[in-house]
Amino acid sequence: MKRGDLLLITVIVAAALLLMVPRWVQNGQSSEKNHNNPLTAVIKVDGEVYKTVTLTKEEQTIEINTKRGDNLLKVHDYGIEMVDADCPDQICLTFGFKTNPGDTIVCLPHRVIVEIKGTGGEGGGTDAVI
Amino acid sequence: MPSSDEETSLVLKRTVVIAIFAAVAVVLSIAESMIPINIQIPGAKLGLANIMILACLYFLRARDALMLVVLKTLLTAFIFGTFSSLLFSLFGSLFSFAVMALLMKLGRRRLSLIGISIAGGIAHNIGQLAAASIVFSTLNIFYYLPALLISGIATGILVGIAAKYLIPSLSRLALFDSFLKD
Repeated sequence: MKRGDLLLITVIVAAALLLMVPRWVQNGQSSEKNHNNPLTAVIKVDGEVYKTVTLTKEEQTIEINTKRGDNLLKVHDYGIEMVDADCPDQICLTFGFKTNPGDTIVCLPHRVIVEIKGTGGEGGGTDAVI
Repeated sequence: MPSSDEETSLVLKRTVVIAIFAAVAVVLSIAESMIPINIQIPGAKLGLANIMILACLYFLRARDALMLVVLKTLLTAFIFGTFSSLLFSLFGSLFSFAVMALLMKLGRRRLSLIGISIAGGIAHNIGQLAAASIVFSTLNIFYYLPALLISGIATGILVGIAAKYLIPSLSRLALFDSFLKD
């Protein structure tokens, strides 16, 4: 380890914290509203909207059949998660259960992206905060 | 005549070393995929193959390391059948390579192999996120960048330490003698 290494690590940690702190603040505010205005999840394949679903408390499953492969999404408790996919890397399954506006689930091999949006004017997620 | 002989043998040695390193890098990728840790950060990985790329940058020229990076990326895509995401891994690997080659050349006095490996690992993540955000035309994917930055530091330190042990051991082999002149 040289001094430059420590400097590099410090800079990276600082950058990560700078990006994370406004998000914590925002999430704290939005989680209270979640129950009166349900969020929606926009599912896009190849950049085009495939389906838009409301994130309800009741369970619903959504199958996505693309020409590259299939994914299975599950909505429950005002959130959404990817439960099954036949892609080779299975990274999309590691995203977990998503409940906040701006959250995304991505399956790169199938070019599938799920973005959570707030109803009405809010939402827009991370790019709104600077 | 002897000088051209020496040159031929150097070219041959380089080719052999690149081939061996590529094979080891692919094996490391396979071994890594078998480690059953389920990290809750999408896209985070150990990046053990980076050990070989660091060693290659240390012993050989940047263009040899570039060859290794391309070989390794193509071979792992063949083996894992991840051709549909080849574009993304290529983007990440090439960006990571560019950053590490540059730091190896310019920042060697200030940074140890650990620092270079951290920078390379994080550049890999940024490259992949950038490719994904271009394909999906959304910046929301960068949401995962902070988590990837932190995990990149941890894995970068591990990979850097591994390379630090590997390089002196390799230097003792006769095959690497001719690469240590400078």
